[in-house]
Amino acid sequence: MRAWRPLLAVAALSAVLTGCGNDSTASDKPAADAGPWSFTDGSGQVVKADKTPTRIIAHAGEAAALMSFGIKPIGIYSDESVKTDPNLKNLDLTGIEILGEEWGKIDVEKAAALRPDLIVGDWWPAEKAHSGMEEGVDEKSKKIAELAPVVGVSQGKSIVQLADGYADLAKSLGAKVDDPQIAANKKRFEDAVAAFKAAVAEKPGLTVGAVSPSDDKLYFANPEYAPELLDLQSFGLKVINPDKPDPGFPYWENLSWENADKYQPDLLLFDGRSFTATSNADWGKKQPTWFKIKAAKAGAVVSWPAYWLHTYGDFATELDKLTTAVKAADPNVGN
Amino acid sequence: MSATSRYATRTSARGSRRASALGPGLVALCVVLAVVAFLSVTMGSRSIGLSEVLHALGSLNNDGSTNSTVTLELRVPRTLLGIVVGAALGVAGAILQGVTRNPLADAGIMGINAGAAAFVVFAITVLGFRGVGVYVWFAFAGAIGALLLVYSIASLGREGATPIKLALAGAAVTAGLTSVTTGIVMTNVDALNELRFWQVGSLAGRYAPILTGVAPFLLVGLVASLGFGRALNGLALGEDVARGLGQHVTRTRAAAFAVVAILAGAATAACGPIVFIGLVVPHLARFICGPDYRWIIPYSMLLAPIILLLADVLGRVAGAPDELQVGVVLGVLGAPAFVAVVRYAKLSEV
Repeated sequence: MRAWRPLLAVAALSAVLTGCGNDSTASDKPAADAGPWSFTDGSGQVVKADKTPTRIIAHAGEAAALMSFGIKPIGIYSDESVKTDPNLKNLDLTGIEILGEEWGKIDVEKAAALRPDLIVGDWWPAEKAHSGMEEGVDEKSKKIAELAPVVGVSQGKSIVQLADGYADLAKSLGAKVDDPQIAANKKRFEDAVAAFKAAVAEKPGLTVGAVSPSDDKLYFANPEYAPELLDLQSFGLKVINPDKPDPGFPYWENLSWENADKYQPDLLLFDGRSFTATSNADWGKKQPTWFKIKAAKAGAVVSWPAYWLHTYGDFATELDKLTTAVKAADPNVGN
Repeated sequence: MSATSRYATRTSARGSRRASALGPGLVALCVVLAVVAFLSVTMGSRSIGLSEVLHALGSLNNDGSTNSTVTLELRVPRTLLGIVVGAALGVAGAILQGVTRNPLADAGIMGINAGAAAFVVFAITVLGFRGVGVYVWFAFAGAIGALLLVYSIASLGREGATPIKLALAGAAVTAGLTSVTTGIVMTNVDALNELRFWQVGSLAGRYAPILTGVAPFLLVGLVASLGFGRALNGLALGEDVARGLGQHVTRTRAAAFAVVAILAGAATAACGPIVFIGLVVPHLARFICGPDYRWIIPYSMLLAPIILLLADVLGRVAGAPDELQVGVVLGVLGAPAFVAVVRYAKLSEV
């Protein structure tokens, strides 16, 4: 049963490929730098190809990173609408096929019709999988990995590593990474870091905690698997490390709502993927213990760019917002 | 001849002895339920000292501390919800097993869970609603709709809703609704994630508004259910005998189904499809009281919340600082326990 499943998939796939083999071959120009090409994936494996890939399908933030270096993918899949995805909402996506706008859902048939020669998605060390192919996605979506080699930079210890990694990938794909805009963003990032460090240094007692609330429990982020939180720690901010992360899904410590006040940071970072201006008040109404988190009660809540940053530019913008929040925060709110 | 009469005397003697023991038994179960409810308020994923719990309960006034909020706004509604929902599921199962004369009958096989899930998914995908508070009403409507559908399909034909037709109609409606739900959920991960939380069956995250929303329905249903004992005893003898005894079989059945729809519908709506309770508790009650539904119903009404609350307390204490959903605990611990009961005790026939 298990053995024939992949075979069947390959058979189905080759039928699709032959079906659309004769359209638009004319647009395939041989790349200037023809290869052979290789790149070390976030998993540590070296991915090789006879010629440099040109037909790339990429996950949202990864696509945005490549586009910042002038590499335009032919297809994108994202975790939400491309109009609201923080990485994509300000980009011109004309001419790019949208293959999915929901987490876990990729239209692999449409993807196959694009005849990609490279799939780009972050490597998630905690899940040992690339973006879009993790445990829990539609089984059909995982078949995108059979269309072409998959590479990605690791969602490891730092957004800086992630941004540099995509610069390297773009370079290997033939991009020029010396665009003045890129240098300007890096400069902006360095200034943002300096300002952030200065603000943090003025509040030595300030602690923060990152959370994502849900109907049945409160998820408390584990910085070890959130590169942007590790960066904030390395910039001097005291981001609380939970003491009992979920062993199966170590991104969080799961707190029952009875234990919502287990950690008492002075400033609350609220999962930016669902944060709105009314989130704090809404959760206060919904969950009797939400305002038992003293920072929430005090209104010291700020959006946390959770798991989406890929570039110096975006990180600089988000850091500036956090700097403002740190400056406004009262280090005596929590414990 | 003498053998039969001796047998008859013996059973009736046993019957009356039972009755004299069963009354005090009910009182004892009430005491056990009170103790379990006390445990449910005093124990949980957060450790709160007994004196603090008692202080909060005694003043019934939230002094603003987290412990007091947790006790009064989380644990008390949760415990009360566990009691009424557990009682409703137990009684609904007992009535369904009696009406359909099917030992496997519970809310699940009558399409209630499937109907509720289908409406919750409809609310998520088509109408775009989010949150337990909204799902309750869709689940309630779906559960009642599914049960009505099952009953009306089974009622087609001259002989009315016979047990066999009810079982088949229930299975068919469940299969139909489940495939629609699965179809939608498979293509919509967002709906799957929302549904997953609802579908496990949990008492977490349900606060006073949900309790006050469903409690009136459940209380009315529970009171009404107490009047069904004699009618179910008649039905248990078979339809023809029941008719011969002067019972209006169709009317009894319809009334019983209406009560089940309210009880199981509201319970499932509030907490998601909690498995096991509705199936197993009536068997335990029958094991204790014998085949008399005038006892089975009140026994189910007390045994079910005891088991539900115990499982919930266990899930909360064992999972701290997280919690295990009561549906999971019931499945994991309840199934082997029930197997043991089936294996070592002689269960009464339905």
